[in-house]
Amino acid sequence: MSGAVVDNGRPSRGTDAGHAAVELRGVVKEFPLSRRREPLRALDGVDLTIAHGEFVALLGPSGCGKSTVLRMIAGLEAPTAGSVEVAGGAPAALIERHRLGVAFQDAALLPWATAWDNVALPFRLAGRPVPEERVRALLETVGLEGFARARPKQLSGGMRQRISIARAMALEPDVLLLDEPFGALDAVTRRRLNLELGAVWARLRTTTVLVTHDVAEAVQLADRVVVMTGRPGALAHVEPVSAPRPRGEDFTRGHAFHEVVDRLVALLDDPSDGRR
Amino acid sequence: MTGARRFGTGVLGVGVLLGVLELVGRTGAAGDTWPPLSSVLSYGAGEPGRVILARATRATVAEAATGLLAGVLAGVAAAGLGLVVPWLRAGMSQLAVLLSTVPLIALGPVLVTTVGNERTPPVIAALGAGFAVFVAMSSAFSAPRTSLDDVFEVLGASRASTLARLRAPAAVPAFFDGLALAAPAALLGAVVGEWFGAPRGIGVLLVSSMQNFAVVQLWAAALCVSLVSLAAYGTLTGVRRASVRRFT
Ligand SMILES: Nc1ncnc2c1ncn2[C@@H]1O[C@H](COP(=O)(O)OP(=O)(O)OP(=O)(O)O)[C@@H](O)[C@H]1O
Ligand SMILES: [Mg+2]
Repeated sequence: MSGAVVDNGRPSRGTDAGHAAVELRGVVKEFPLSRRREPLRALDGVDLTIAHGEFVALLGPSGCGKSTVLRMIAGLEAPTAGSVEVAGGAPAALIERHRLGVAFQDAALLPWATAWDNVALPFRLAGRPVPEERVRALLETVGLEGFARARPKQLSGGMRQRISIARAMALEPDVLLLDEPFGALDAVTRRRLNLELGAVWARLRTTTVLVTHDVAEAVQLADRVVVMTGRPGALAHVEPVSAPRPRGEDFTRGHAFHEVVDRLVALLDDPSDGRR
Repeated sequence: MTGARRFGTGVLGVGVLLGVLELVGRTGAAGDTWPPLSSVLSYGAGEPGRVILARATRATVAEAATGLLAGVLAGVAAAGLGLVVPWLRAGMSQLAVLLSTVPLIALGPVLVTTVGNERTPPVIAALGAGFAVFVAMSSAFSAPRTSLDDVFEVLGASRASTLARLRAPAAVPAFFDGLALAAPAALLGAVVGEWFGAPRGIGVLLVSSMQNFAVVQLWAAALCVSLVSLAAYGTLTGVRRASVRRFT
């Protein structure tokens, strides 16, 4: 294979061009509840392959296992059966090279550190010097350049989530995992940040998995929208969205956009229809 | 406004209590081992009393401080070791609990024969202080995983940087919690340790006052060590409150 391998028209990253960026094969996850009772089956045979530079959104009812999928890709949870590969290896291999970025459902910021120090954390944990210019640019991207010296306690929930997104993107990771990063935002800020994230993403093309409850957000940002069914979680439907990027307001106002959104909302309403 | 009022009520309460103490002493209602407060205070302010109390307090505080320092270092080190080497944790807390159930006063004679009567007060102080700090720190270190732990793991943090950048700062309020309890424990330990033949200190003064039936001196010595203990506790509680504001 030559070094100039290209998939989906996008340049591939790193040396692992032969592999998918993320590959889940027959993934089952059970959580033990107690010794007496049967374990809780959170995921029941999930197959999902994500290409390099692809943006996948996960939709599904609360408790269907979206966060669990994300945590398994992040190597925080091991599958009960099946396999999870990231960049052709175990998630731990990518973590060791500091090539994974995550933003969790709660912002999970260091309460004693300033916004600036929280964004600088990934550089410090990777043992690299902190590039001040880049940290400032990241804070600017999420609209918090004026709050560099503020501590999380002094910020709103939405501002904290924006810091955690900036932190996730700090090292320009190979794989970016976002768990409802805009959950605590008002509709207007959310839309603005979606446009912003879409624009940043169109430039970087980082392989991204986004968990969200907002169907419009998923369709606007993703190359593929994956709809999951509730307990035990499995894939119900995969919707490719092939609109060109960057996707601005004209895309979200268009007929095709609303048609897809309506169809996915209907599917979420009664996911048994779309089941396998 | 309410703050001022609460302060006013506090002062009033203390005033009433002191008044009762004085009254009981004056009337001799509780016998002649209960002197009026005013004579205890005037003994402490007067010539031989002030010098005697100051010298004894200085000696006791020095022993307590030495013991506190040693105990804090040992307590933090032990809790830290339990964090780094998890399989040691259970055994160590059992050992700490076992040590703490031994009445410190029972250790006195043993210590006098092993480390000598001069070093017994700081050693007992260190045991009391060390236990308080160890318990506070190891419970902080064994707090359940949060999503911050997950963030550190996913960012590929080493154990050392997780310790330095997450565990240690998160345990700062607990450290001052432990310290606020350890300082009075160290003072108490030092006083108890002095009963076993130390050359000077509040404990020595207490014993000799008791033997010579110097009731006023006995009360003055007890008051002195209580005030020092209260001041240490108050100061450290303030520091703890500030650290909670800063670290959470
Ligand atoms: N550590 C755990 N122990 C036991 N059960 C768990 C654990 N983590 C998740 N579960 C269970 O697995 C299921 C899926 O949880 P998960 O957090 O992945 O849902 P989700 O799709 O992210 O929901 P939400 O949209 O509300 O965030 C739930 O039923 C939950 O109770
Ligand atoms: Mg979730």
